[in-house]
Amino acid sequence: MERIYITKEDKITASENNLVNLSLKDGESFENLEPRRLFPVNRPDEYITLLDSEGVEKAVVRNISELNAESRVTICRSLDDYYLVPQITKIVSTAEKYGNLHWVVETDRGRKEFDIRNRNSDIRIYSDGRVRVRDSDDNRYVIDDWQVLDKHSKSLLVADM
Amino acid sequence: MNGNEKFNHFLKNKDIPEGAEASIEELIKKGEEILFVIVGDLNKKGQYTTTALIFTKNSVVCYDGVPGESETLLFSDMKDVVSKRMYGNATLSAIMPSGKREVFFRFTYTISALCDAAALFISHVRDGADLNEETAIMGVTFERALSVCPKCGRTLLHPGAECIMCRSKSKVIKKLSAYLKPHVPRLLVCILLNFLTTFMALVPPVVTGFIVDNIFSENPKSAGIPILGDIATLFGDDKLSMLYMMIVCLFVTYIGHYGIGTLRSYQLRIVGDKAVASLRNDIYKKAQYLPMSFYDKTSTGSVINRIAGDSSTLQAFMLRISQEAVVHFFQMIGIVCIMMALDPYLTLLSLIPVVFIALASRFFSKKIKPYYRRIWRRWSSVFATLADTIPCIKVVKSFTGEKRSAEKFEAKNNDWLQMDLKIGKIATVFPHVIGFLVTCGSLIIWGFGGTFVLKGEGAYSAGLIISFISYASMFYTPVTFFANLSDSFQGALASTEKILDILEAEPETQAENHVVPDKLKGKIEFLHVGFSFDRTKKVLDDVCLTIEPGEVVGIVGTTGSGKSTLINLLMRFYDGYSGEILVDGHNIKNFDLSGYRGQIGYVQQEPMMFSDTIFNNISYSNPDASVEDVIKAADVANAHGFIARQPDAYDTMLGERGVGVSGGEKQRISIARAVLMNPSILIFDEATAAVDSETEHLIQEAIDRLIEGKTTLMIAHRLSTLRRANRIIVVDGGKIVENGSPEELMALKGKYYKLVQIQSMAAESERMREEERF
Repeated sequence: MERIYITKEDKITASENNLVNLSLKDGESFENLEPRRLFPVNRPDEYITLLDSEGVEKAVVRNISELNAESRVTICRSLDDYYLVPQITKIVSTAEKYGNLHWVVETDRGRKEFDIRNRNSDIRIYSDGRVRVRDSDDNRYVIDDWQVLDKHSKSLLVADM
Repeated sequence: MNGNEKFNHFLKNKDIPEGAEASIEELIKKGEEILFVIVGDLNKKGQYTTTALIFTKNSVVCYDGVPGESETLLFSDMKDVVSKRMYGNATLSAIMPSGKREVFFRFTYTISALCDAAALFISHVRDGADLNEETAIMGVTFERALSVCPKCGRTLLHPGAECIMCRSKSKVIKKLSAYLKPHVPRLLVCILLNFLTTFMALVPPVVTGFIVDNIFSENPKSAGIPILGDIATLFGDDKLSMLYMMIVCLFVTYIGHYGIGTLRSYQLRIVGDKAVASLRNDIYKKAQYLPMSFYDKTSTGSVINRIAGDSSTLQAFMLRISQEAVVHFFQMIGIVCIMMALDPYLTLLSLIPVVFIALASRFFSKKIKPYYRRIWRRWSSVFATLADTIPCIKVVKSFTGEKRSAEKFEAKNNDWLQMDLKIGKIATVFPHVIGFLVTCGSLIIWGFGGTFVLKGEGAYSAGLIISFISYASMFYTPVTFFANLSDSFQGALASTEKILDILEAEPETQAENHVVPDKLKGKIEFLHVGFSFDRTKKVLDDVCLTIEPGEVVGIVGTTGSGKSTLINLLMRFYDGYSGEILVDGHNIKNFDLSGYRGQIGYVQQEPMMFSDTIFNNISYSNPDASVEDVIKAADVANAHGFIARQPDAYDTMLGERGVGVSGGEKQRISIARAVLMNPSILIFDEATAAVDSETEHLIQEAIDRLIEGKTTLMIAHRLSTLRRANRIIVVDGGKIVENGSPEELMALKGKYYKLVQIQSMAAESERMREEERF
């Protein structure tokens, strides 16, 4: 089966909740598709698959930047809804208690406190400076580049690295 | 205390947010009874806010974090309620009669268990289920969500249980000292020996001082130690005899010092080695009892690293502590005492550098601490690469990945190198700084002491200065040692942390009042069983199933449909499921784990063989079995024939070079294993998936003999494997979609029918092809 890659001429419009409608330039159209990232960790803006209510892929966005402006806004809004990965902007405090790390952080979605079970596997540092954190409830958090955090946050993070 | 006491009469998972109080009071005023409240953490825009869902018997009031504002949904207005898991968050939405979905609550995974239950609550109540019963179910869910350890916040096994993590969590040192406890008598002897060696180590400097002052000096000074003064008067003017006497004296001391020292070191080494050996045993033992879910999350490489590598680091550290630290500690005290006796003023002067050494050591340890953890991570990742690729060497070679694999290893190793060099810089600078400070200490003594001697002030003599210099240098050795100890201490601490990770991980749960089953009849019941590995996706969803004793049940379904999970739960490899699984009417969680598993014969798709003899591999399931029992089991499994043809027969070592045991033969060995344990329940997880049809026939024969009268579950892709099954269960998307005898399912013309159609077509063409070949 040929995979449909969405181009600038195709149109993606918002449907209810986080779903979208897709109409291709050749006239074919799909309703209520759910955009999902194929590489949520390493390529968040590339390869967005559009699944129907049965979970069957209908089309793929190669790169969000290849879409026309309206489609891009729609897709981004939908992805923002689906993927809740708050960006940690500041680490307020960290404490270790009985083997759990307890972090208090400021994120782009507000202040949050959470526990980290295992600092070795739940805090992942990537070579490009990204840090991904998983809390004890399996929620995810991300730091885009830990090197540009403020000094206080950095020193707290380094202590737990 | 924001007036939450007045909301104590209904269930809630957290304190009610102030903004929602008004809505609740309004409901109460209207005479509505509030059943429970779920306090949430996200608003619908995805911002962290305290929100709430207030449930009454016929409606749910949603408070989205804006004080005073709330939205009421009547159960009767919606067609259904669904809980949808997204990424890092989830939603509850109402499906309206128009088909429109309306999201009314958004939350993080933290409260998803409660919200899932709430969705079921609404749809059940809407469909006319008993309100009290449904509220009771919610009550249990709340109780579970709230049963977290008050100390560490981990979820407890059941409400009121003692937290496994906190119970055993104590100071690292305390933990390790438990391993030294059995060796206390030996340690006491060592300490006694230490007194002796320390005393002997302290003698030579005094003697040298005496030699300088009384033998080489023109006008002898009184010696600092009385006994030496007596000796001086004894010999009078015969300075040569006096010198020889002193040399003999020193010689005897040296013999004693080093002789006893050797004895002591050996004893200490015994203690250190024994302690580490028993620690390593404990880790390995613990690793055997860790649940499968631990191994799902932790790479085998890092577990191996912890058992092998980290305990070695600890061993090195323990040796250091037990051997040198004790020695140095006594020496330090002895030296200070004797120096004070000789001259307090000079003692204080020579101790000045100690202050700097202590400060420098503190600074250093603070600086180096984070590096140790990072180095461990790097090293662990090097090790994981190793442990992952070597067992997969066949894949590496078949896809010519040797170079890539080597490069990956090199990159990881390089990461480690960079970090180690970084730490190396600090770690090497430090001892030299200390060394410098120490040397400067002797300058102080030369400077002050020397001046006093030349000026003839007080009782200072050249001999005293010389004794002092040697004591001071002896004193700095332990100081340097203790300063550097923080370095290896940090390393050991990092290792200990990793080891404690294993030692204190939650073992497979064992109910307190467990039942040891004698001989199970084999009735299996699944009651509303649900399971998810990581909360993101439900693998099993509300599975209900009853299997009568002696039934042969075939389980079919596509890959990932949840059929293997069904087995994993039955085997109790995972315990974190909802609902209940009963065997012979007992909840399997109440069974004694080993007694229960000992009744289940489990034959896997990939037969795992230990590198041991065929005999030992078969008798693994029942080590007490007699030789003839083993041979009989091999007979039943259709394995005796090929085993007998091996040159080493039952003594053939598996897993070694040159042993030609095929996949099908291994499978028959693993069936023999299951036969030998004579189980009540048999499970075949695609036992014939990886073999050709002739071998399949042999295995099938073996299976047929084995399942006689036993409850048997067979997972199979090939329907030919299932011809003995009197019941077929079709699993799809974590649910049982079809359940009945093969004939019934054929008549149903559903998924099973479709599968049979496809496979008989394929089998037909394969048969024709094979006929052509011969």
